[in-house]
Amino acid sequence: MSLPGWWTIDPTEPFTLGPRQFPGRIWTASGCFAYGLTGHEMKAEGFSSPYQGVGAVVTKTVTPQARPGNPMPRLVETNEGALNSIGLENVGFEEFLAKTLPALEEMGVPTVVSLAATRPEEFGDMVSRLHQAAVGFVHWHGVEINLSCPNVAEGGHDFGRDPDTVAACVRAAREYLPDRALLAKLTPNVTDISGLATAAAAAGVDAVSAINTVVGLEVDLKSGRPVLPRRFGGYSGPAIRPIALAKVDEIITRAKVPVVGVGGIGNDRDALKFFALGAVAVQVGTAQMRDPFTAARIAKDLAGV
Amino acid sequence: MSLMQPPDGPRTMIDLPVMPAASCEGVVVANVPVSSGLLQLVVEFDSPVTFQPGQFAMLNLAGDSALVFSRPFSIYEAKDRRMSFLYRVVGRGTRALNALEPGAALVFLGPLGRPFPQPDPDQPVVLIAGGVGLPPLAAWLDRQAGRHAGEIDAFFGARDGGDVPWDLLGDRWNISLDSLKDLPAGRQGWQGLVTDLVASRQDLGNRKDRMVLACGPTPLLKAASRLASARGWTCWLSLEEHMGCGYGVCKGCVVPVHDASGGPGHVRNATCCTEGPVFNAADLAWQD
Repeated sequence: MSLPGWWTIDPTEPFTLGPRQFPGRIWTASGCFAYGLTGHEMKAEGFSSPYQGVGAVVTKTVTPQARPGNPMPRLVETNEGALNSIGLENVGFEEFLAKTLPALEEMGVPTVVSLAATRPEEFGDMVSRLHQAAVGFVHWHGVEINLSCPNVAEGGHDFGRDPDTVAACVRAAREYLPDRALLAKLTPNVTDISGLATAAAAAGVDAVSAINTVVGLEVDLKSGRPVLPRRFGGYSGPAIRPIALAKVDEIITRAKVPVVGVGGIGNDRDALKFFALGAVAVQVGTAQMRDPFTAARIAKDLAGV
Repeated sequence: MSLMQPPDGPRTMIDLPVMPAASCEGVVVANVPVSSGLLQLVVEFDSPVTFQPGQFAMLNLAGDSALVFSRPFSIYEAKDRRMSFLYRVVGRGTRALNALEPGAALVFLGPLGRPFPQPDPDQPVVLIAGGVGLPPLAAWLDRQAGRHAGEIDAFFGARDGGDVPWDLLGDRWNISLDSLKDLPAGRQGWQGLVTDLVASRQDLGNRKDRMVLACGPTPLLKAASRLASARGWTCWLSLEEHMGCGYGVCKGCVVPVHDASGGPGHVRNATCCTEGPVFNAADLAWQD
């Protein structure tokens, strides 16, 4: 694609977000590129690795304790999207801190650590320990607090639908995170997402990531029952891009907080739509599963190289 | 009930050297039926391709018509710049693949996953394939026939005579059929389950050091696993799972495995695409 005239940014150039300089504006979304340790050896013509030009890997969400995840099946594909109910399967905070984050630092992966917890104090505890353990790390750029994983909570209700809860979680994390970027990933499953963004901004985030997955359900006609054992899942992929664009626009125009756009981005055109609305960076999610080089290709295409 | 006793140590891992996966486009050069139910897709690339039997690739349509998730296919053959796959039309992905004409572009990620292990030089091997589980074992046999010093007994189970890709199999396979209909003149088939055919072969019981490699529907894999366990044979199974990514990031294809490193009786989720798709049967914590 020839780049539009209004596009003058090189997304593989460093940019500043809060107290940090990030190496680029094309990131991978949480849960869609594991912890950032996978696939470094993979090949594609014109790329040294799937991480080339990628500004940050937002890690798979880490919780205070390891989680085995939800029962199978965990994924359902629809015509234009994917419904997932992975259930935050992860290695747990202790192993992440002891092994994963040091490995990411050693490999030079620009990292944003995604954290989820059930109480604000747990966010504070984890961020405080991250700050102590990784104080000298140069590739750890920030924390994204996951306030909205609809496939974990009972009945698909997100944790982060209440502005006061969002603010409490952000404050708890911000207190121990003076020198790295702090982002909050917002749920779209609310009537007023800008209210959540305003609350997050007032409590001290440097940006919000919008959007997380949309609550969805698919029915198996043969059995007449929901396909996913937990009934609800998180809907992602191309189908949610217009929803994401609308929510990003709403946040930017009403809440005046920097936005990292995420939702259905699979190529340079998709990414440009978020930048056109004023997003400072974007995250590639579901499309990263189809091709591990998707984010790298978008970065290269938008850099005009 | 657990199918088998868990092994004593940490679960068995295959450690063959494998090529790093490549993400690229290929062009369809053939997409034709090889039996009433199986089709062969041949894809050509810009540079030579290789794989180890048991490995798979993720395939998708190119451009704007791409499916949200690519689909996993066992690799059947690779020669110079061409790779081929055998598949059955079962759903949306394989229907889309089936519609591709020669010249169509296709998105490829592979080779992926852990292949079948290498047997000891003179170790006897039994191959048990069912239906669309044929390609990885046919690939294994193609590589090993004439090179492996141990006996190789190959068994393939199909629905009926029409479902067997006779020309492709040659005369190295023992064929079992659910039904003897459509059996071509001059061809032979044994009626019944392929695992029952293997069990009926008394001569295979003479050695304990036999290695079973199996791929097919889950009931076949469980039966192969039980048979191997009863005879004291090692057994490696190639599992078929729905996959989102094929390279270990989405956690959508997990299978429960025994993992004694986590304590006695510990079971954990293994990612089928990267820790498999080939597993030691003794490691699988299948629930009946």
